[in-house]
Amino acid sequence: MMGETLNIDDLRNRIENEISVLKTLEDLKRVKATILGRKGVFAEFLDALKLLDKDQKRVFGKELNILKVSTEARFNEIEAALMEEERAKQEELTWVDITMPGKVPLLGKRHPITQTFEEIIRVFSSLGFAVAEGPDIELDYYNFEALNIPKHHPARDMQDTFYIKPGVVLRTHTSPVQIRVMEAQLPPVKIISPGSVYRCDHDVSHTPMFHQVEGLMVDKHVRFSDLKGILSVFIQEIFGANTRLRFRPSYFPFTEPSAEVDIGCVICEGAGCRVCKDTGWLEILGSGMVHPQVLRNVGYDPEEVSGFAFGMGVERIAMLKFGIDDIRQFYYNDIRFLSQF
Amino acid sequence: MRIPCEWLNEFVVLDIDPRDLAMKLTMRGFEVEAVEEYRPAFDGVCVGQIMTIDPHPNAGNLTVCQVSTGLETLPIVCGAKNVRVGDKVPVALVGARLAEGFLIEKKSIRGVESPGMLCSERELGLSDDHSGIFIIPEDVAVGSRLAEMKGLNDFVLDISVPPNRGDCLSVLGIAREVGSILNQRAKLPIFKLDTSDSESVEDQISLSIANTEACPRYVLRMIKGISIGPSPFWMRNRIQKCGMRPINAIVDVTNYVMLELGQPLHAFDYHALADKRIEVRVADSDSVFKTLDGEDRKLVAGDIMICDGSGPVAIAGIMGGENSEITDSTRDIALESAFFNPLTIRETARRLGIRSEASLRFEKGVDGDNVDFAAERAVFLMNGIAGGTVLKGKREIYERGIGKTIFVSFAKIIDILGVPIEHSGIISALRSVDLHILREEENGFVVSIPGFRHDLEEYMDIIEEVARIYGYDHVPATTPGGAQQVQKRNRKEVYLRGMKEYLASCGFYELVNFAFFNLKDIENFRIAPSDPRSSCVPIMNPIGKDYEVMRTFIAANVLKSIAYNLNRGAKNIRFFEMGKIFFLDGSSLPVEYPSVCFAMTGREREYFWRDPCPEYDFFDIKGVVEGLMDQFGVQTSVTRSSEEFLNRNRAADVLVGDVKIGWMGEIRDEVLRSYGIEQAVYCAELRTDLIAQHGSVDAKYRPIPRFPQVTRDFAFYMDEKTPVGAIIDRIKGVSPLITAVGVFDMFKKETKSIALRVVFQSFEETLTDETVNALQEIIIREATSVQGVMLRT
Repeated sequence: MMGETLNIDDLRNRIENEISVLKTLEDLKRVKATILGRKGVFAEFLDALKLLDKDQKRVFGKELNILKVSTEARFNEIEAALMEEERAKQEELTWVDITMPGKVPLLGKRHPITQTFEEIIRVFSSLGFAVAEGPDIELDYYNFEALNIPKHHPARDMQDTFYIKPGVVLRTHTSPVQIRVMEAQLPPVKIISPGSVYRCDHDVSHTPMFHQVEGLMVDKHVRFSDLKGILSVFIQEIFGANTRLRFRPSYFPFTEPSAEVDIGCVICEGAGCRVCKDTGWLEILGSGMVHPQVLRNVGYDPEEVSGFAFGMGVERIAMLKFGIDDIRQFYYNDIRFLSQF
Repeated sequence: MRIPCEWLNEFVVLDIDPRDLAMKLTMRGFEVEAVEEYRPAFDGVCVGQIMTIDPHPNAGNLTVCQVSTGLETLPIVCGAKNVRVGDKVPVALVGARLAEGFLIEKKSIRGVESPGMLCSERELGLSDDHSGIFIIPEDVAVGSRLAEMKGLNDFVLDISVPPNRGDCLSVLGIAREVGSILNQRAKLPIFKLDTSDSESVEDQISLSIANTEACPRYVLRMIKGISIGPSPFWMRNRIQKCGMRPINAIVDVTNYVMLELGQPLHAFDYHALADKRIEVRVADSDSVFKTLDGEDRKLVAGDIMICDGSGPVAIAGIMGGENSEITDSTRDIALESAFFNPLTIRETARRLGIRSEASLRFEKGVDGDNVDFAAERAVFLMNGIAGGTVLKGKREIYERGIGKTIFVSFAKIIDILGVPIEHSGIISALRSVDLHILREEENGFVVSIPGFRHDLEEYMDIIEEVARIYGYDHVPATTPGGAQQVQKRNRKEVYLRGMKEYLASCGFYELVNFAFFNLKDIENFRIAPSDPRSSCVPIMNPIGKDYEVMRTFIAANVLKSIAYNLNRGAKNIRFFEMGKIFFLDGSSLPVEYPSVCFAMTGREREYFWRDPCPEYDFFDIKGVVEGLMDQFGVQTSVTRSSEEFLNRNRAADVLVGDVKIGWMGEIRDEVLRSYGIEQAVYCAELRTDLIAQHGSVDAKYRPIPRFPQVTRDFAFYMDEKTPVGAIIDRIKGVSPLITAVGVFDMFKKETKSIALRVVFQSFEETLTDETVNALQEIIIREATSVQGVMLRT
């Protein structure tokens, strides 16, 4: 090649021209090859350089090398820019409208009665009470007689019972479970019995079936003050540590002394409202010391052991906890209701 | 029991706000449900006295009364005929306001100026009586404000008396409790009968009791020559406040004394009593008796009857007979006061469906010691109101029982209550409610029980009295002693909870239905009469047709809940319910099993913009069943179901071994229509006890394989109705190295084609191609040995 054709400026211009039309990484690759490749322009120049004399070689060689280094840097720069452009282009394809609705997993709910049951059982389990169960269809003996509610007893005024046949009833409370458990084992006894119970009542505030949890503890030296202790812990677990509660005398044939337990109204906080009938208190459960006759009925000696028992309506507790004002809502099974809990 | 404070105040001094008293009574076990305030409905009415009565100059049916109001005498025009000179009457002066807002203005009536008006009880809002002017009791001062008259300003306590405290169905009974609260003693009414020159009851009537167990005490007292009229205002006012209706002086007195002392009384017309004798006996055969309400009552052997010389005149303690009833012309009265056997009265009242105020008290037991006092009180009041003469003495039979006593040890009281009360505190507490200590012994005391406390039978009753008076509030809250026991986990409980959690996490809402259903449900579900599910447990006294029997399966109730929600706009529903089902059984009690039912209808969601949302089909419900079985480690298989309520092409029974534990499938259209459902419902019902019996909730760790698994896909042509399950079972049987066989595609062009993916896994080594290839050969051979199956290549 002729010396005069080795024009660095021409080379620089040519490179500039080639680079200025680069659009894609492919272009880059191709152009890079034609310029820096083994048979590229620089290679051509280097071959031509060999023909020059020593001085020229040194001058040209130096200039050529400077140009080559800067060209390489230039290509790297352009490559990085093009790659970034490409990445951005690819990324653009993944764009979504984040305001479109997501796919919510389908999740059902347990009935509020179940949830309340579990909450009650949880608290009593932690206090050492075991769960015991019995039949819904019960002998008159277990539902009434053994619990000191003989035929014609005034206590039967309080409940109207479904009969299956003479001597067989739908249990009106879960207390018969207490008798069955005590018949089957010796003290100490420490159980709760959750379950369905039935009474012939169907109006705005009663359903023919509802749910109860009853508890029983029998041992040596079980005291009325222990009943207060256990129920205080329970109520404060369920309704909060600041819940006020009071025990007041009441009557149940199977307990003596008997106590009705009220909590400070959770709706009006004691100021008086429709729910608490302006008293500031809500009846929440019935309780008492197991009547000695009941202990005798199961063969326990009331001189040796004593115990307490308590019972509560699950719907009542659920209504207060969730603020439900109509007991029938539990049994309509409307999804708009069930989905709230 | 409604107790007017003004009345109560005659027995104890009520120096306490009625609302505070209500709170204290509530804390004593007498829950006060309401404190009702009574205020006069009028204003500006004073007490006047009639000085003269002159005819109205222009109207024959009116009079002009000169009425003194103490300060002045006013001429007031009056239309009523019952006023006499000297009567005290209510004078509504100009500006006064009467009941219902009526305002008094100065008015000229037929030419005579009347600066006020005399009022009837109705005009004052005191009662419904508008028959004449209200004649005010003589002891009220002329010129005083009528609004201040006794009884018009009052508080009535509406008390829920515990069923064992019949003694507190009276002002006296409540007064005793109030006395104990206020540290007073309730005072009995003091009066003196004047019988100085009257005949003797003994000469007028005879009395016998055939069975003193049925009637241990019976008293007859008599009053002669009375005239029947209304009772005075104060008495009617009290009776009304207690929630009863005034009738006439005699009936009102019997009711008044019952409300006051708790002793029901019955008045006979003396002249209606044949042979002038009363016999109390127990009926020995069935008979019919007409009670004073005109009804024929069927009596049976055992009922207590009051008879005269010719037959029954009253059903003891429940209702009198028409034949001896008090009428307006009655002049002479024989008054009964008695103690009847509470159980007999209760049984008779219950059978006859009569629950009167009297029977309510008799069946809880009245105060045997108070029987004669109440009779005396009644004839005294009758005498004062209706005139006549009280006869001397009484007829009485009194089979006195032995006074009841109870021994209680101090230690037991403290041990049961968990609070160290002083002995003296115990004794004074008991004394305050008339429980007196007969004697103190070394470690306890003997207490005597008064006749009105039928509820006290053993030491625990006395301990309750101590606690009640001491105050439950003063008992501390303690932690039970003794060793803490760890309670065993209830396996059934764990299963039930686990299933509920599983189903809820599968998107099912839990239902709770009543455990009843209708015999129509059996029919709707086409349950054969021979099927145990037709042997429903019937309820003798169901609350309605829908709840006539105990359910033998849950699905019917679930369909009802689905229909309920579809009718309210829901389209896509997943429900489950867990509960008991009941079957008749030879033994004394029916059998009960726990069951779980779940159902789905519609589609998972109505739409999702990205994905298609197909409607549910058989494989959705099947998947839920499979997942449930997997969760509890139960090995099940399926077989075509013959349940009549399922679409036979999409119905399966779920088996453990040979035992059917439930079913699943698409409910038949005809069944759905009988519940008003018009869209497909897929449903399953399984016995949870059987799942628990064959399953396990205890997870066991299996080592994770250290060698890679190999998968191979296979495709087969097969006959339409060849069960894929059979092919899968064959393949699984080929080698223990085969750990899973899945169906990843199924399609049909000319022939049905199925694509299976088989997973091979060894715990010992890395599987070689050779090994897998060998198994592959066997798999193809095994699969194609099923009738109608060909390898697709």
